[in-house]
Amino acid sequence: MAEGDVLIATHVLDYPYSRSVGPVIGAFLTGLRDGRIVGARTPSGGVVVPPTEYDPQTGEDVGEIVEVGPAGTVESWAWVTTPGPKQPLDHPFAYALIRLDGATTSMLHVVDTGSPDALATGARVAPRWKPAADRIGHVLDIEAFVLEGGTGGAGTGGAGTGGAGTGGAGTGSTTGGAS
Amino acid sequence: MADRCAVIGVGQTHLKAKREDVSIPGLVREAAQRALADAELTFADIDAVVIGKAPDMFEGVMMPELSLAAALGAVGKPMMRVHTAGSVGGSTALVAAHLISSGIHRRVLTVAYEKQSDSDAMWALSVPQPFAAPLLAGAGGYFAPHIRAYMRRSGAPEHIGRMVAVKDRRNALKNPYAHLHLEDIDMKMVEESIMLWDPLRYLEACPSSDGAAAMVLAAADAVSGSYPPAWVHGMAMRSEPTMFAGRDQVNPQAGRDCAADVYRQAGITDPRADLDMAEVYVPFSWYEPMWLENLGFCPEGEGWKLTESGATALDGDIPWNASGGVLSSNPIGASGMLRFLEAAMQVRSQAGEHQVEGARRALGHAYGGGSQFFAMWVVGSDKP
Repeated sequence: MAEGDVLIATHVLDYPYSRSVGPVIGAFLTGLRDGRIVGARTPSGGVVVPPTEYDPQTGEDVGEIVEVGPAGTVESWAWVTTPGPKQPLDHPFAYALIRLDGATTSMLHVVDTGSPDALATGARVAPRWKPAADRIGHVLDIEAFVLEGGTGGAGTGGAGTGGAGTGGAGTGSTTGGAS
Repeated sequence: MADRCAVIGVGQTHLKAKREDVSIPGLVREAAQRALADAELTFADIDAVVIGKAPDMFEGVMMPELSLAAALGAVGKPMMRVHTAGSVGGSTALVAAHLISSGIHRRVLTVAYEKQSDSDAMWALSVPQPFAAPLLAGAGGYFAPHIRAYMRRSGAPEHIGRMVAVKDRRNALKNPYAHLHLEDIDMKMVEESIMLWDPLRYLEACPSSDGAAAMVLAAADAVSGSYPPAWVHGMAMRSEPTMFAGRDQVNPQAGRDCAADVYRQAGITDPRADLDMAEVYVPFSWYEPMWLENLGFCPEGEGWKLTESGATALDGDIPWNASGGVLSSNPIGASGMLRFLEAAMQVRSQAGEHQVEGARRALGHAYGGGSQFFAMWVVGSDKP
């Protein structure tokens, strides 16, 4: 072997796994499939969304599963100017921490307002669901959150950028700017 | 040992092929909450959490201890993860016990688990490697040649392995948590099961199980609960490389050294006479006679005679694996802790139908990797 002739092999590990989600996260995912968002009540009176099987602070069991939202308030957000191919929307959007009505924790999701100028901390948002037939029990069964009342997104970013469209929360399944 | 350490709570899940009814956090909480209930404590009473499991590749969850901290009430407390392959459940318990005996903490929760049904752990042990012929042998394929070497060396007859397979499965019938409950198990059934890795037949190998085990350990001034504590009389770990020239794979030096260390601490000179029972990691039937020798329960070459005589049966003079052992339940990461936990249950007289009457001193043992990691403790009903 000549000096410097070092062999290199590609090593691909392809290995199947499965996950059982249990009764609490299971209720959250099943709820999404059915077009509802649920959380879990903790012994100290909080409502954790997405729910965990335990109070994240104390480890105690959570109590009843309760429906929250579907609307909520944006607590914090970051604008994605140039979405990559694996990101949830194909046009500019925000990742945001959203505290759903009735929840005491915030949930990370996508907000589609077309333009960052249309979004502000404290904004009221509501889910834009996938059509029921396409929902599988996944957090992206909610395509995105849009400004409550459908006032955001359309028009502010100009043609091809408005995600929410004019249909308002919960009615539009179009991704708008894709076309 | 500086401060004395006691086992004041034990908990385990039912051990099954698939626990699809729970998530991984749900599984570990089930065991942890049973251990806390046994100690009559809550998460709030715990100073630190030590968790163990076998390789992350088994479930495909990287560093699960990070997300499990909140599930185990460890927010704001020290939490660490231990990993020593199949012996991890034992070494996890020992790391937790060190935190007590060193005087650092007064009450420590220790948990170990595996959710094998999330993948196929057996074949995760046989991942093809570049520039190497694929072996695809699994754990049994690794150990079978060592068993053949033991048989040749000791002259043990073929039926000894089948005897262990039957004995441990009959014990498991008395343990409601055990995975395998084979009502009709007998020598013929074992002999007629398929040959997996010569000389190991299907029924001479452990199952793949989901399950978790947990214990609450406490300093002498922090003992609680209704059952008497199990006191730690000695604890030791040893390791050696998987392969080196002259290595005795049948009777590893690390195992002998580990046993000598734990016996010295516990004042044991004749383990067969001085101990009342032992829970020993026997995932393949032949590892009972092999470890009987490695752990000094008999002279070298005579382990199979002890098994054949019935000495290790539930009604023998030194019962091994009264719980049914690893041969009846194998949630890999938890299997070592289950041995330690079952030893503690015995000296606390809480083992129910598989209780060894009058057990006051017991050995818990775990091994892992290519018979290269060893963890052991001796627990007793008397405070040392």
